[in-house]
Order: sequence, then structure tokens, then C-alpha cells
Amino acid sequence: MSDMMLLFPIFVPVFLGAVMFLVPGKAKWVKEALLLIGTAVTLVVSILFFGKNMDFVLPWGGFGMDLSLKLYQFSSFILLSVAVFAFLIALYSVVSMKGHEQAKKFYAYMLLTLGFVSGAVLANNLIILLFFWEGLLVLLFAMIMTGGKKASPTAVKALVLNGVADLCLLLGVGITVFISGTAAMDKINLPMDFWGSFAFALMMIGAIGKAGSMPFHSWIPDAAIDAPLPFMALLPAALEKLLGIYLLTRISLDLFIFQPGSGMSIAMMTIGAVTILLAVMMALIQKNFKRLLSYHAISQVGYMILGIGTALPIGIVGGLFHMINNAMYKSALFLTGGSVEKQAGTTDLEKLGGLGRKMPITFTCFFITAAAISGVPPLNGFFSKELIFEGAAESGLVFYIVALLGAFFTAASFLKLGHAAFLGKRRTEHDNVREAPWPMLVPMIIIAAGCILFGVYNALPLNNLIQPVLGAKLGGESFAGILPASWLLAGISVGVLVLALANHFFGVKRTKSGLGAVDHIHYAPGLKTVYKWAELRYFDPYNIGMVIVGGISKVLWWVDRGIDWVYDKFTVRLVNILSLGIRKAHTGSHRLYIAWALGGMALLAVLVAVLI
Amino acid sequence: MPALFLLIPLLGVIIINLPGRKIGNRMAVWAALAVAIIQIGMAVTSGSMVWQGLAQVVSLPFGASLQIDLFTAVVLATTGLIAAMSLILDKNAENPRSLYFGSLVLVTMMGMNGVVMVRDIFSLYVFLEITAVASFVLISINKERDPLEGAFKYFVMSAVATVLILAAIAILLLTVGSVGFKAVADNLSAGGVSPQVIVALILFIAGLSIKAGLIPFHAWLPDAYSSAPPAVSMLLAGIITKVTGVYTIMRLITDVFSISSIMKTAFMVLGAVSIVIGALAAMRQDDFKRMLAYSSISQVGYIILSAGLGTPLGFAAALLHFFNHATFKSLLFVNAAAVESRSGTRQMSRLGGLASKMPITGGTSVVGFLSTAGVPPLSGFWSKLLIVIALWQAGAYFYAVVAVLASILTLAYFLIMQRRVFFGKLREGLESIREAGAAAVVPSLILAGITVLVGLLFPLVLLLMQSQGLI
Repeated sequence: MSDMMLLFPIFVPVFLGAVMFLVPGKAKWVKEALLLIGTAVTLVVSILFFGKNMDFVLPWGGFGMDLSLKLYQFSSFILLSVAVFAFLIALYSVVSMKGHEQAKKFYAYMLLTLGFVSGAVLANNLIILLFFWEGLLVLLFAMIMTGGKKASPTAVKALVLNGVADLCLLLGVGITVFISGTAAMDKINLPMDFWGSFAFALMMIGAIGKAGSMPFHSWIPDAAIDAPLPFMALLPAALEKLLGIYLLTRISLDLFIFQPGSGMSIAMMTIGAVTILLAVMMALIQKNFKRLLSYHAISQVGYMILGIGTALPIGIVGGLFHMINNAMYKSALFLTGGSVEKQAGTTDLEKLGGLGRKMPITFTCFFITAAAISGVPPLNGFFSKELIFEGAAESGLVFYIVALLGAFFTAASFLKLGHAAFLGKRRTEHDNVREAPWPMLVPMIIIAAGCILFGVYNALPLNNLIQPVLGAKLGGESFAGILPASWLLAGISVGVLVLALANHFFGVKRTKSGLGAVDHIHYAPGLKTVYKWAELRYFDPYNIGMVIVGGISKVLWWVDRGIDWVYDKFTVRLVNILSLGIRKAHTGSHRLYIAWALGGMALLAVLVAVLI
Repeated sequence: MPALFLLIPLLGVIIINLPGRKIGNRMAVWAALAVAIIQIGMAVTSGSMVWQGLAQVVSLPFGASLQIDLFTAVVLATTGLIAAMSLILDKNAENPRSLYFGSLVLVTMMGMNGVVMVRDIFSLYVFLEITAVASFVLISINKERDPLEGAFKYFVMSAVATVLILAAIAILLLTVGSVGFKAVADNLSAGGVSPQVIVALILFIAGLSIKAGLIPFHAWLPDAYSSAPPAVSMLLAGIITKVTGVYTIMRLITDVFSISSIMKTAFMVLGAVSIVIGALAAMRQDDFKRMLAYSSISQVGYIILSAGLGTPLGFAAALLHFFNHATFKSLLFVNAAAVESRSGTRQMSRLGGLASKMPITGGTSVVGFLSTAGVPPLSGFWSKLLIVIALWQAGAYFYAVVAVLASILTLAYFLIMQRRVFFGKLREGLESIREAGAAAVVPSLILAGITVLVGLLFPLVLLLMQSQGLI
């Protein structure tokens, strides 16, 4: 296999995506075929690539900006995951986007996104990485815009929030390249001195911003409502997490010397813990299927950041395992949400209920993936969470407790979601709802089955995909095994799940509905006000930022007016007054003129006298 | 050879007056033009071996007291050029006093040639007076009311200048005992500056400032420029005041005051004040030529400011601006004359939209004012750039900023002029207007061509200046 092949997963989807724009709108199945071919080819190529080592360097740019691609264990693993998700979600969207007026554009952007994500994953040069990374920002904006007119504020919001994170990445890359003197990623290994830490922090912000961590998260719940559903399953649920966590791992493991217990480690764990708790608290009270899931998409990323932030092998392995697990169950959950929306016509939980009997396969998939995200043994989420718990417990008790609280609320909110959507009394207008068509079910079933497989047989992903990433740092240790390493922590986790179940029954009994299962938390004294403010977006960093920016721009507007006034009014008036004054002074009297000349001579004499 | 620059114009005056008034009226201007062209040729070749060889064969009087260096040669050539243009422009209007005009132009030429070649203060004074007296008559040659008033003001102020300069010469003669440039300079540098010498210098500077039209010694200048006949105001603005005032100051700065930092400061202040006030005054003028007059004051300010620096680069920049200003300001005066001869007025408020009817005049005027404002790649840009660089290098940051900002004012008032005279809608009553005759178009094309060429071929000019050791 030639090293030129490395260009395939980038250029094939990008080319087909460009061709997509040329397909006439009326042509049937052509655009769907292009999408499936593009994703399938990428999938096949990435399967062939898996486990191989390849290097491709095209020195085209000068200043060290080579087009340098590198395939090794980690990038081939991420590339494969990306390709799998892209293919499954493409299959799903062929049906779910059918008849959508923006379908063609959406497919085109999807292919372009796939190509750019492949490029970012394969890039072995920070400048090239940045190129693909920023391209994804544009595509993100474009994809949300396919949601129609109402989506444009959300698209702008996503652009601004991600743009800020990307700007930080840009600065971080700039500093890193400047200090290390090279942009080749496999040659950089910087110590965490002052500038090193600064560059690391900036690049970390770029990475976790892409992954959707706080405070760059607030566009995701809005996009859940405004953007087409496959977008949510593809980007915020899967590809962005993969890409963001991939970069975070790269900078933590390779680019910088990242030590446990360092200031950066504590800062990262704090961001992770805060993201877990706040986002899951918001997820708890959501009354919309997709919006609830989107807050979990934020919350789960907190676990990965917490895990990698420990800088301990067990935490990093847990974070990476959680990344792949989350991409699986979260995209599957979004897909079940999409099925419900497609079949029942709404994702508003107040209007749903009792769909379990009408859509048994969807419900089953939901049940498995919800159990996985809640950390029910022996599903994949349980094992990755246990690894993170162990890493957190080793790094600091407070992080462990927050992570545990997050697990409790996750379980509680999924009990509520499942109960409200699939159990309870069915509404009369949903009597004729049927199961979703098979192209929508197949991806869900495959992913749900994967969740069971990765849980029961966790040695498969851990030994083959994740642990080789750390290589020598692991010291030959393996975290695989059907039984958790620490019985104590596992017991506590199961206890928390039981507590969540008890809490659910208490809430249901109290309000007599599945949707009201967490009302006693939602409307608890004190929390009630905070929740109200949060729902009013008082805490949305985007809104806060916009208020600040608005203030600044108002001040600048006045400054600008002032400068304009100085130029347009003041200067002109001053010149006019002076000019007229000088003109009037020339009366035509030669006596006056002689007087001026003599006066001038006197002044000259004074000047000379002063200078002498 | 230097004596030829005096003898040839003098001979010209005698020759054109011999055949009597009738024939004289017809041929005087052409003969004077021939003299001017000969002068250009002689000035350009003045450095060549031919003249040196000739000097050994034929010995002419005043050989020792007249000298020609590069600076002198440039000014001599410029004098010839502007005088030639002025003589051509005179053919634009029917002039019944062509004989007088031709003779007087030759006299001023002789006076100016003397001014640039002499190397002692008293002879300088004599030639200054020759030029001035001829100029008074030239301004009022048509015996009309306004020119007479203008000439009178010039005369009065010139008289003041004469008094000041003579007094200064007297004091210098008493204290130094000599009026040669070198002797005075040596005396200034040798034995500390005595109070008498200081007084003499102040009187001298004030007198020359009147001649050059530096603010606040300038008040005669707008009246004289605007009221004089077209060909005369061009000659006056383009070369006479430049030689009698500006050249003299530059020459004295380099040869006589070269040591005194006080004198330099005095000239730089005068220059900066003239730049700003001249530009401000030009802004609100309605009379086309009066506006050009104030613009001249402002541009002369640049030359004096740069020369006052006393650095070689400053002097080179001043010399270049001297030449450039002579060309583009004369160009604008030619255009003003063309407009006046066709429309019958100089009031800009009564003009408008002439560019469509007078394309050459309007077009060359754009070249002229852009060059004055210092827009690349025209000649004025380079000299102004050199001036600013020279100021900056010498650490005169404030003056450099003033010079740059005043360029904006220059552009502003010239844009106002261009819009009011040439652009915009054609004014009612001007529909039948035609392009000016060849006598106006030819000089404006020549001068605009020089402006553009010096700008475009500036690298060559720089090389030339380098080879002469100017920069």
C-alpha cells in the first residue's frame, strides 16, 4: 500500500462532497448514492489502514508548513471510529432526511466534514491540523444552517463559541511552533514551563471547545432543536468528541510533558468535574427528548476530560474508552430520538408516552444505550466510568464525589426520559405510530450491540484500540477484565444506581407521572431559582459574552463618532475659521503689511536673543 | 564663462532695441526666447570641458568674482526654462508692449543670473535691486489700476527690504571689514559672534524674507502675483521671488551662516510657519491666482525649512524642491492664465466644469496640483519625501510631522480649486469656451511633461545627485 493512499480518506469524501453540489435537485437517489459511496469508501479504506504505520510528506508550503500526514495506532483507531459512525449515520440520514429540502446540501456538508475530520486526525503538522480544524468550523456553521431560517441564530452562536475556542487553539499552535521551532507534531515534546503551560492551556481550550465542554457548550442544546437530527448524532455526539478528545490526548501524551498533580492537571480535572455536574443538572430538568440528550453530550465530555486530566494511565485509558463508548451510545440515543421524532412527530416529552409497545426495537435500543450511559454493569459505560472513577479517586476525593454525583443524575434523568417517552399512558393521537423503517433501525441495532460487546468483552477495545495508544507509559499493565479492579468503587457505583432508581420511584409516586420523576429536585428550595435563571439563559456564556461585547461595541461606536467628529466637523471648522481669519487679516493696506514685516523682524530678534 | 550669463542678456536688450519700436515689437519676444534657450544650454553644459578650455583662450571681465557651481547651474537652467515659458505664454494675449516686455524679461534674467553667480554680499544687493526694479515695471506694464497697486505694494515692501539689507551690509562692512561670503563666514566662525553681527544678520534675514515672501513678510506677494499680467505673474512666482529670496537664503545658509545653529533655527521656524499659514490662507481664496500665490508661500516654506536644516540631504531636497516648485507652480500659473484668457475671470465662484471644454488645461492642472501636494509618482512627491526624510534623520520630528500634515492641507485646497474650476457641471455662460491657444498649451504641456518625467525617472535624478556628491 503506497503512502499516497493516506490522501484517500481526505480527498474521496471531499471530492464526492463537491460533486454533490452539482447533482440536480430533482435527480432521485443520486445524492443518496454519493453519500453512501463516499462514507463506505472511507470506511473500507480506514479498515484497510487499521493497525498500519504510514507517513506521507509533501513539502509544499515553506516555513515548515508541510502537508504531512501520519498514520499510526492512535490515528488509525480514531479514523476507523470516525468512518464507522459516518457510514452508519449516513445510512440513517438517507431515510430520515428524505424529503428535507436542504438534504442535498446536508449530504454534501456531511461528506466534506468527513474528509476534513480525516484530515485533522491524520495531520502530523500543526499548521495542517489547524487548516482542517478551521475548515470544520465553517462546515459546522453550514450544517446547522441547513436547519432553515430559525437555525441561523444558533449557527452564529456555534460559530462564535467554536471560533473563540479555535482562536485559542490558533494562538496555542503559534506559541508551540515558535518555542519548539517546528510544526511537525511527532517532533514536538515540550516541558511545561511558563510558555509551555500557556501554550498547553490554549491548545487544551481549543480541544475541549471542539469536544463541547463548558464554557463552549451552550450552542449544543439549541442546535438539538434547530438542526437536523443526523447532525446531532454525527457531530456533537460522535465526531466532535472523537476529534476533540483525540487532540486533547495528543497534546497531553505527545506534545507536552504532562504530569499528574501539576497545575494544568488540576485545572483540567476541575473543568471536567464542573462540566459533568452542571450539564447533567441541566439535563435532568429538560422536557424535550433531543435537548435532554444534548446536555448529556456535554456532561459526558466532562468525564473524558476528567479522566485524561488525571494524567494517570488508568484515567487516560478510562477517558479514551469513555470517548469511544460515549460516541457509540450517544449517537445511538440521538438516533432513537430521531426515530421517535420521525414516527410520532414530536420530541416534546409532555406529548409523548407509551411508545415502547409501538416501537419495540427502538425502545430496546434505547434501553440498552441508556443503561450504558448510566453505567449499568456489564455494559461498556460501566467499565469506562469505573476506570475514570479510579483515576479520580486517586487524584482527589472531591473529583470522585462530583463524578459520582454526575452518575446519579445521569441515571435519574434517563429513567425519567425512558419512562416519559416509552412507558406510561400512550396518547390517543399516537395509536397509529409504527416502528421506524429498517435503514434507521440497523445503525441503532449495530451500535447497541456494540455497547454490549464492548462491555462484556472489554478486552477487545482496551487491548486492541486504547491501551496501545499509551504504549510504554502503561508499563505492560492491562485494565481489561470482566470484573472491575476495585470492588469497593464498583459497589459504590452500583449503590448509586440503586439510589437513582429509588429516587425515580419516589418521584413517580409523588407526581404520578414519569415526566415528574425529578420534580422534587427541580423544584427544591434554592435550586428552583437557579434552574429558573438557567432556563432564562442567564448563565449562558454566549449571552454573557454578547452583553459584554455589546457594551464594548457601544463604547467603541461613541469613540468612532468622536473620531469622525474630529475629522469631519472639528478639523474642517477649525481650518475654515483659521483660513477665513487669515484672509480677513489681509486688508490690502500696505501700512499694515509693513507693520507685519517689522513685527516679524522683532519676533525674529526675540527668537535669536532667546536662543543665544 | 560666468560673465557670458550677464553679457548675453545685456547684449540681447541692446539688439532688440536697435531696430526701432515697430520691428522690435514683432521680434523682441522671439529674440528674448532665443536668449533664454541659449541660457538653458549654457547652464546645462556649464560643467563641461568646452567652457574651461574657452576660458583659457578668451578672458572676460569679472572672471574672479563670478562663480558657477552645481547649485548655481541648476538655478541658471531653471531661470532660462521659466523665462522661456513666460515668453511663450506672453504670445497668448495680444501685447502691444512686447518690446518692453522682452527687454524687461532680459533685464530680470541678467539680474537673476548675477544674483546666483556673485560671491559677495554687496554685489548680491546690486543684482537684487536690478531684478526688483525690472519686476516693478513688469507687473505694471499695462498701466492698469490693480497691477499698479500690486506693483506699488511690492515696491514699498522691497524698499523696506532694501533698507534692511543695506543696513546689514553696512554693519557687516564696519565690523568684518569685508563683504565677501568667505570673509564673513570666516569671521562668524572665528571670533565669537558679536552683537553687531547678530543685529546685521537679523536685518539681513528680515530683508531676504520679504524678498522670498516668507510669513509674516509676505503680504505684498498675493497682490503682486494676482494682479500682474499672466506671463509676468508666472515669471514672478516661478523664478523671480525664488531666486531673489529663496536662492539667496539657501546660498547664505550654506556659504555664510553654515556654522550658526541659531540662524538655522530661525529659518526653520520661518519655513514651518509659512508652510502652515500659507496653506491655510489658500484654502478660502476665491481668486485663482491669489490661491496659487498663497500656495507658493507654503511651498517656499518647504524649501526654506529643508535648507534650514543645514544637512547635505536637507539641502539636496531643498534644491530639488526648488526646481520642482518652479516647474509645477509655473504650470499652474499658465493654466490660470489660459482659464482667464478664455473665460475672462479668475473668480473660481464664477467658473466650473471647464475640464470638458479645456481638456489639456484641466489635465495638466491635475498633474500640477497632484505634484504640489506630493502625490507619487510625480516630481513633487520625491522632493517632499526627501524633505521629510531629511527632517526625520536630523531628528526634527515635529517639523517632519508639520510637513506631512501640511501636505494634506495642500491636497485639500487644490482639490477645492480643481473641483470649482475644472470639474463638476459646466457653468452657464461658459458653453462657447474653447481650449486655450498654442501659446498657453505648449508651455503647460512642456512643464507637465517635466513634472511627470522627473517623477518617473527619479532614480536617474538620484544617481545624478549622487554623482555630484549632493547626497
